Amino acid sequence: MTYEEFADARLGALLRYAVMLTGDPHQAQDLVQETMVRVQLNWRRVARSDAPERYVRRMLTNQFVDWRRGSWARRVLLRGEPDEGVPAPADHAQSAVDRDQVWSWLSRLPRRQRATLVLRYYEDLPDAEIAEILGCAVGTVRSCISRALATLRAEYVEVC
Amino acid sequence: MIEDDLRAAFARREELAPAVGPVRAAIDRAVVRRRRRRLRVRLAGTALAVVAAALAGFTVIAPRPAETPNLIAAPATPPPSGALNMLLVGADAAGTDGSRRADSILLVHLPADRSRLYLVALPRDLVVPMTGRGTGKLNASLAAGTDLTAGYQATRQAVAQLTGVRIDAGAVLTYRATRELTDAVGGVSMCLPAEIRSHHTRRTYPAGCQRLDGSAAVDVLRQRYNMPDGALDRDRNAARYAAGLLHRIREQGVLTNPVLLSRLITKVGSGVVTDTGESSLPALLAAAGTAATAEPVAVGLPVRHGGTKELPYGFRLDSALAPGFLDALRGDRLAEWTAAHPKQVTTLR
Repeated sequence: MTYEEFADARLGALLRYAVMLTGDPHQAQDLVQETMVRVQLNWRRVARSDAPERYVRRMLTNQFVDWRRGSWARRVLLRGEPDEGVPAPADHAQSAVDRDQVWSWLSRLPRRQRATLVLRYYEDLPDAEIAEILGCAVGTVRSCISRALATLRAEYVEVC
Repeated sequence: MIEDDLRAAFARREELAPAVGPVRAAIDRAVVRRRRRRLRVRLAGTALAVVAAALAGFTVIAPRPAETPNLIAAPATPPPSGALNMLLVGADAAGTDGSRRADSILLVHLPADRSRLYLVALPRDLVVPMTGRGTGKLNASLAAGTDLTAGYQATRQAVAQLTGVRIDAGAVLTYRATRELTDAVGGVSMCLPAEIRSHHTRRTYPAGCQRLDGSAAVDVLRQRYNMPDGALDRDRNAARYAAGLLHRIREQGVLTNPVLLSRLITKVGSGVVTDTGESSLPALLAAAGTAATAEPVAVGLPVRHGGTKELPYGFRLDSALAPGFLDALRGDRLAEWTAAHPKQVTTLR
């Protein structure tokens, strides 16, 4: 496979994945761009791996977890706060707001936990593959997910 | 259930994903930029290797930058045998039209027996035939073409024609590259025969040996006014600088220590153009011969005042000494020639 074929086939999916990770289209673009530049520069090494797509997803996820630790976290928090004080006139709308709050709560999770949730509930990957992407044990993935879900549930309780 | 809410939230955000086309274009642009940067660093490294090779008396030359992914890890090639000639050109500051001329031109000759290095100064005011342009001064050949690379090629051709030897490798050093190279090795010691007053910075450098940092070394290398022999004295200083740099590199063990070498390579930025040889850096390092440990011998190409009608202030080859000297250079017999003509040898220490 050439880099061009890979980009044709997978760039869109990677951008969507990055949006779920970062919660922001601009950051998603930065993240994908930074990763794909490295992919293209080192394409021979990427293509040599048995599953280039998984290799690249792993690069991107690591980049997200490790890259610019400080400033990234601050930016996510700044953008992540929900717009409070918006009235919810009807039950129907209230449930929509609730569901959207899940999205904003996500931004408060540690990035590694958020990545496991995205891989699990957006990409629908099995735990073993998530563990491989994050470079950790399967047990760690499970505990990571359950801790993240517990945090989100606690938020639910607070709101209700 | 929270899991379902998560799935729904993710699904709703899919439309946030940026369009693929612009991102792809941005990636390609960034890749081009980064490749260029890599190449620049590599070129600088190659130049340094050539300089190192030239000065340390290595038996080979630098690698081709475009084909070696990693300067240090490049595949080894066997060291060439026989005499080698390398060209070092010190470029001056860019003129108002952006073109540069050469301040100093050194031909570094490494004899086949690898006994020592010969630094042959070629006067920049030497009148030479120029390709398609009649005659001109040797230093003007660096201004040929659009950039330093073209200028180097023209200079190289002129020198090859003048001396009749093959140029195996070479490098152009700008002021900046010289400054960075000097600072990277922690300063270079130069032994001046007489005090120098800088025409450019008003600094004075006393007679005798002194350690110069990057900007001081460049300052000294630029001076030709207020000196008895003008540009010829400057050429002698260039040879003294080269000898001092070689001494310093040897002293620090840079050439036998890959870590130090690669640090030096990355420190010296762009502003250098190199001619590439056919061997890799490891071969070059492995081939460090006895020449590196001996003091080099510096000699000026024998010239006399008097150019052509259009260039009355230039130099031409000394008809009494030059033929014998060039024969010795081509025949790899500089040791005999310099022994027979001690007056032509520049004192370095």
